[in-house]
Amino acid sequence: MSETGVLLEVRGLWAGYGDSIVVRDLDLVVEVGKTVVMIGPNGHGKTTFLRAVSGLIAPSRGEVWFGGERVDGRKPEAIARKGLVHVMQGDGLFSEMTVEENLLMGAFPSSPWKRRQRALDRVWELFPQLTERRGQRARTLSGGERRLVGLGRGLMREDARLLMIDEPSLGLAPVMIDVVYGAIREIRERLGTTILLVEENFTHVGGVADVVHVVEMGGIVRSGSLEELSSDRTVVETYLGSL
Amino acid sequence: MSQVVAILISTVVLGSIYGLVAIGMTLIYGTLRILDMSQGSMVMIGSYVAWGMLVVGNYNPVLALVAAFVATFALGTFTQLVSVQPLMGRRNELDFEMVTFITTFAAAIVFSNVALQVFGPFQKNVPPLIAGGVTIAGQNLSYQSITMALTSILLMGALGLFLSRTRWGLAIRAVAQDLDAARSMGVPVGQLYPLTMGLASALAGIGGVFLGAQFFASPTAGDLPLLEALIVVIFGGLGSLSGTLYAAYAIGLIQSIAIVAIGETWTLPILYGVILLVLIFRPYGLKGNPSEVRL
Repeated sequence: MSETGVLLEVRGLWAGYGDSIVVRDLDLVVEVGKTVVMIGPNGHGKTTFLRAVSGLIAPSRGEVWFGGERVDGRKPEAIARKGLVHVMQGDGLFSEMTVEENLLMGAFPSSPWKRRQRALDRVWELFPQLTERRGQRARTLSGGERRLVGLGRGLMREDARLLMIDEPSLGLAPVMIDVVYGAIREIRERLGTTILLVEENFTHVGGVADVVHVVEMGGIVRSGSLEELSSDRTVVETYLGSL
Repeated sequence: MSQVVAILISTVVLGSIYGLVAIGMTLIYGTLRILDMSQGSMVMIGSYVAWGMLVVGNYNPVLALVAAFVATFALGTFTQLVSVQPLMGRRNELDFEMVTFITTFAAAIVFSNVALQVFGPFQKNVPPLIAGGVTIAGQNLSYQSITMALTSILLMGALGLFLSRTRWGLAIRAVAQDLDAARSMGVPVGQLYPLTMGLASALAGIGGVFLGAQFFASPTAGDLPLLEALIVVIFGGLGSLSGTLYAAYAIGLIQSIAIVAIGETWTLPILYGVILLVLIFRPYGLKGNPSEVRL
């Protein structure tokens, strides 16, 4: 699919749970083929933002446009079928299902389902370490393997247009974080998938980010390339401590 | 020796039919988190369909099974749409399990009373699908019991294959295990829920075709099977398919031992005594888990 221009546009989005609003008036644009990274401390609304975009919670105000169509207020399954793939925080794996069954679920909509075998082969090729785990239940995997299954499941959609990944490094040992980010780099370079990624700090996103936004208190406070933000003293002091 | 054979045969026959009627209830609980009290009605309706097809229409037994499957599938789907689906969006603000327990129970009472109005209070004789029987190791065994056990085992096997090999079967398990993740994979839960309840109801409906021959078709023919199914699913652990199967055959075994070794009249006190004991030590059932119930 040769799309150009803006794939995802969010205008003045407010979202939260009940009375506690955590995303406040957030604007964001993701262009086709780019990897956009949102950085920010825990509890400042990054996960809530992704959940509001994919429809898992209804935004209280604002608009979400995906592929030129307004999707806020739609059901998550309807938004997913349009090609928006959400790799959730904590993986969202089906823990009693095998690795292969989990991957197959990633191809649920009818057109990717027809090409599931090809997509499955592609995931085995991309993540060979999962091949020997294919018949194992997801709950028996290590944290890193679970993360790879989550990513692999996101890749089962051959019609995927946007891959949203929520904190891929969360809770992983440093060596596994490298493996996971290696996989994200592969996805970006080999498949050219548009990615919206959320992380707590800059440490790992160096090789993948085209655009970086800094999120604070539910809104974007700084934006730019990683280089630009690295030369900004306040940002560096707050977020780049470990770079 | 002949006592052992008698116990084994009776365990397989009883366990299979318990399993068939209860497994739908587990499927529904695992997926929708409701105890569907209309499952007994599906047994009752299956019995009436069998009576209509075999006695009134004089059709072939296979057609009777197909008709019962189709009728109860449709009715189960309808029951979900009227008694559960309207409440689905308000899961978080309601005591969802309790409210749907009552709404499906209300649907069940409507079904019995419609049956009472349409067919009258007198029970209808449902003939066995296949008459006659054989003697195995000195035990008489009707073809009806053999067909009932085989059909139940086949259907439970088919259900297992459906859940592990097909797109919609995987989706049912996915919804049971992580609703948000399943929806973000594109699973349309608004269609999946009624279909799941339809499928579960159809299994109970098939059970009704066999049970009708044992206990007649009547407006209350579903009450006892409903109670038995509830006991099986709670004994096995709510929402666990394998637990339901273990429980079905375990209950079949306890009942068979009691019948053969001690005598028919002691069956129920012994059965419920054992269940009580097990639940005191394993309050979540044989395979249940307090925090997660999974298909």
